[in-house]
Amino acid sequence: MSEQLAHSSAGTGERPRGLWDDAWDELKRRPIFWISAFLIVLFILMAAFPGLFTRIDPNAADLSRSMESPSSKHWFGLDRQGRDVFARTIHGARASIIVGLAATLVTTLVGGLLGLLAAYLGGWADTLISRLGEILLGLPFVLGAIIILATFAGAQSGAGPVLIITLVVGTLTLLSWPLVARIARSAVYAVKQADYVQAARALGASPFRIMFRHLLPNALAPVIVYGSLMVATFISAEATLSFLGVGLRPPVVSWGVAISEAGSYIRQAFFLTAFPTAFLCITVLAFVMLGDAVRDALDPKLR
Amino acid sequence: MGRYFLRRLLQAIPVLFGTTFLIYVLVWQLPGDPFVGRCGDRVCPEAFVNAMNEQFRLDEPLLIQYGHYIANLLQGDLGLTYNMTPVSDLVVQAAPITLRLALVALAFEVVIGVIAGVIAGLRRNSFFDNLVFVSTLLALSIPTFVLGRFLQWLLGVRWGIITPSVSGDATWGELIVPGIVIATTTTAILARLARTTIAENLRADYVRTAIAKGMPPRRVIGVHLLRNSLIPIVTLIGLDLGTLMVGAVVTEGIFNINGLGGLVYDHVLRLDSTVVVPVATLFVLIYIFANLIVDLIYGVLDPRIRYE
Repeated sequence: MSEQLAHSSAGTGERPRGLWDDAWDELKRRPIFWISAFLIVLFILMAAFPGLFTRIDPNAADLSRSMESPSSKHWFGLDRQGRDVFARTIHGARASIIVGLAATLVTTLVGGLLGLLAAYLGGWADTLISRLGEILLGLPFVLGAIIILATFAGAQSGAGPVLIITLVVGTLTLLSWPLVARIARSAVYAVKQADYVQAARALGASPFRIMFRHLLPNALAPVIVYGSLMVATFISAEATLSFLGVGLRPPVVSWGVAISEAGSYIRQAFFLTAFPTAFLCITVLAFVMLGDAVRDALDPKLR
Repeated sequence: MGRYFLRRLLQAIPVLFGTTFLIYVLVWQLPGDPFVGRCGDRVCPEAFVNAMNEQFRLDEPLLIQYGHYIANLLQGDLGLTYNMTPVSDLVVQAAPITLRLALVALAFEVVIGVIAGVIAGLRRNSFFDNLVFVSTLLALSIPTFVLGRFLQWLLGVRWGIITPSVSGDATWGELIVPGIVIATTTTAILARLARTTIAENLRADYVRTAIAKGMPPRRVIGVHLLRNSLIPIVTLIGLDLGTLMVGAVVTEGIFNINGLGGLVYDHVLRLDSTVVVPVATLFVLIYIFANLIVDLIYGVLDPRIRYE
């Protein structure tokens, strides 16, 4: 009976359309979204199951064939230590994707939560969080990362891939959460005194419920817009730091590390740099396009 | 205006101390013994350890050390590198080069980015608008170091138009390509921002009124529209001075430019923080100062913003 009722009401009266339905409709119509989605799925597959793309061990080295040019057997050639560049490029997707997604996720969660707390609690909590954020934002992003990572560089000799990646993700997060917190804070602050929030409070809703049920959804759209653009920034930052020699490092297989290692041989073996660079740029491009599409869909100002 | 300036100045102080304290703690305190790994691969020379201990009072409590560090910094004494060169000498040599590079980059950003963005915003959905969109997309997805390496290879090695590595004098001509490399990302962001702002303001009531009054389009665009669209653009340029300086670290490293960024790059690779800390602190100072200036320019551009 109740099922029937539910069914008929869904059939006759349309569900009220919200921001998210509109956004999805807008996204669906944009080719740029589908192109980026396709590329991102491809790279995520590459990160999760590199075996689908290559059977060659990225760490198998044959020194006698150092820097051999691309051939039918080794599509992208061999690097200085005689390792297959194609396999290393495919396997390199994992580090970039993990760093980009994990740093974005942690930054969004930490920043969103702290911004929410700052706006809701106000007073000393707000002061503390906002001032701390200002201090961290006082450091230009990559410069701050260089300082932090260079500090730990001595301590991590012989470290495993997990520790190295965690350190990079942690550093990127530490330096970027204040921006997300600022966005979430202002979004929550704007509705903190709204009637429906007062009503919820009057009805005896717990602070937890008010924060997560009534206030948080308001901050979601701006934070998601910012977050979707952040993935590209983080992937690019990771590659930059790895290129500088303070980010990821061997034994981690990554595009930034590959470009850095190939650096001095650009004259003799251009392909060593070209392939990981192309993969890196296409990945960043895909995430920039996705971020663009998401922003246009969720921020209808220019429609 | 004076009161506002004072207030912003006072607000900048905690940030200043906070950031320098953070850098200080990170670099001198974290790995335990401050001299482990401090001098690259070698063990630090005795003379250096003594000089550092004397200058930074590394055997005293953290806050006192930091106090000495700040006091030294304010007197322009930035410490010694481990081969006993005063860091301030290095900075004095390097600063003019980085300034020149930053000016080249800034000029490129403002001229190309703002003009492209304004035209695209005025003619939305035209061919030019789409061209700007696609080029900004590409510019945003190529990391600075990739672009630098690529142009160095293409223009320097392959075609021989520029010298791959900039000479010690770093003349204006030599700095054009590195300047463009640094500016690319910000130029793209700037073009997009200018486009959005112009397109948004184009629909504003005051623009319609101005057109209805029969004002010539030149004046509507040049005075009404541009002036009102300048605020977000100026903000971005100010905020992005940070990017400019970081771009300097990467780009100066690639093109072998002996500027402040190159100084950081070289010494980060050698794990020599005696140079990295003061220069990074200098960058932070410039960054905070630039943001302050931006806040003050608001008032000139838009008298509606009252500083109370």
